[in-house]
Amino acid sequence: MTYRWAYMDHWRVDTPRGPQTQYANRRLMDDFVKQISAVGFEGLDMFDFQVFGLSGMFGSIAKYQEYLQDHGIAKIVNLFRGIMYDPRVADAHVRETHDEIVESTRRMLGMWSDLQIENLIVMPASLWTTTAPVTDDKIKAAAECWTRVGEMSLTEFGVRTTGHHEFFCAIRTFDDIVRFYDLTDPRYVSFFCDTAQHCIAGVDPVELYERLHDRVSGFHFKDTVQQDTTSAYQHRPDAELMAPQTDRWFHEMGVEGGLVDFQRLVRAMDAHGYDGWVTVEHDKANIGGDYAESTALSMWYAQQVLGKVAS
Amino acid sequence: MSIRRAYAVNQWKPNFDDFCRPDAHLRAFKTVRAAGFRAVELRGGTGRWDPLGRPASIEATYGSLSTFAKVLADVGLDGVSSWSVDPGEPVDEELSHGRSVLDRGQHAAIVEWARPFAAALAELGGSRLVVRALPPAWQVGTVDDDAVDTAAACFDALGAATAEHGVRTTLHADVLSAAADADVLARLLAATDPALVGLTVDTGELTLAGLDAADVVRRHVDRVDHLQLKDTRFVDTAGERLRPHAEHAFLTAGGDREVERWFHEVGTRDGLVDAPAVLDVLRGNGYDGWVVFESEQTPNPASTVMLNGWYAKHRLGL
Repeated sequence: MTYRWAYMDHWRVDTPRGPQTQYANRRLMDDFVKQISAVGFEGLDMFDFQVFGLSGMFGSIAKYQEYLQDHGIAKIVNLFRGIMYDPRVADAHVRETHDEIVESTRRMLGMWSDLQIENLIVMPASLWTTTAPVTDDKIKAAAECWTRVGEMSLTEFGVRTTGHHEFFCAIRTFDDIVRFYDLTDPRYVSFFCDTAQHCIAGVDPVELYERLHDRVSGFHFKDTVQQDTTSAYQHRPDAELMAPQTDRWFHEMGVEGGLVDFQRLVRAMDAHGYDGWVTVEHDKANIGGDYAESTALSMWYAQQVLGKVAS
Repeated sequence: MSIRRAYAVNQWKPNFDDFCRPDAHLRAFKTVRAAGFRAVELRGGTGRWDPLGRPASIEATYGSLSTFAKVLADVGLDGVSSWSVDPGEPVDEELSHGRSVLDRGQHAAIVEWARPFAAALAELGGSRLVVRALPPAWQVGTVDDDAVDTAAACFDALGAATAEHGVRTTLHADVLSAAADADVLARLLAATDPALVGLTVDTGELTLAGLDAADVVRRHVDRVDHLQLKDTRFVDTAGERLRPHAEHAFLTAGGDREVERWFHEVGTRDGLVDAPAVLDVLRGNGYDGWVVFESEQTPNPASTVMLNGWYAKHRLGL
């Protein structure tokens, strides 16, 4: 196992001013960075829109990365694009909107160009509910869109564009995911494997990894204790936070009853010689828990369980 | 042997019905291990709601001490570094309302009470029985030479008994203790046998009591055999720790200033403890014991474990 651990930021804490994120002030930021560093994270993943708050807090995003390095975090590894899909403006299956998606992505990456970001993570299609019926042509249109974006991001910024398939994404089944990557240019579009999202959608992430291992540019390691048995992916307006089936889909690695077979996945990664970053994520950890403990438990599992499985 | 860092689990149990279930213990142990600590320090306690409070309670909860040791080992921890105990606390199992080291008639019972802790520590990989040095100052009043000699006799006997198990008795002066006074502490150490009794320096407690922790270490460096690290932003300048019922009015309720939290992570902003200086002195003297971090009064134990872990690694080189 030669990969390094990064942390996908959804952090929030309870403070005397109520629940807050670390983007609220430097003290909370100090605490956050020290905590993730303390348990062994060396990289940080975040949402693209944080550039505005961080530039305000530190003067520039580059200065923020220097600050991270002073505290034991080597760099910002991946950006998750919080793109707002709308078929009138930007929607991957609507070819007329591709120019806007390419241009807005170019503008966004320009704000991060001082750093050495490795991946731009995107949900490759809009919600299932707003895309259905999911046809081969819609998947093909999305593939065309992200191939264009990926060529731009790699050639202009040195950043790979990589697809992350939420359980409620229009491209969500094993066959549709594989079809999407078959239709994209492997030079420009890679695959980002989110273990829990695939499990919830009824897709074995290990099987998917085995199929697409040569396209993988990263992982979100998080667990879930239940599959979507109620077609929650069709729930409007939101399947992740408002589905009737559960108020918490995601858990940290090692949770009792977890459905993701991380040990099997790590063995598969070893077999294919994966040596990049692995990102830990446990969004919604505050529902019945808190981020600090979930973060520590995740890294305990990574170090003490997965560290002994991997070669 | 080298300096190793351990973590005190006291903060996870603010009340009798908290932190009872083994799954809660497991989460705490994993958190401690993930942040780079190698062992845990337990706190003495009594009754069925304190399953880590005494050896018999651990056996009742886990089946045996060896099973508990395996739980720790499976988490990746080396074991239990130390056990912090107070002879003055009640012991339901012994029908005791608490005993005083200032009463020679109770010394034998105190020694017998402590033996199981020392034996268990030996089995769990620990080496320090951390004993409250003296009862609260507001109860003791002036500590004259006779009081010092009486307490010292108890600690020497205690030290001899724990040494039979390879465990050192080490005196801990908390902020409320009558021993949290430079003169009393010096006299108490002078009256005890250095071969049998050591000193635990608790940086946050001593600082809050008005002592300079680094100075205490320098002054008694040959006796320091255990270190507990926490920080504070306050000194009890008003002498509130000496007032009646300071346990509640001062330490718990926050005193006249209504301080919400007396103790903080090591290296906290505006912290008064110079932890690097303390470590420098100890290292210069060849210290090779445990450094135990604590989280007392934190609103989030896991968060404080991680902050302490970061400081230990990046600022203290532990």
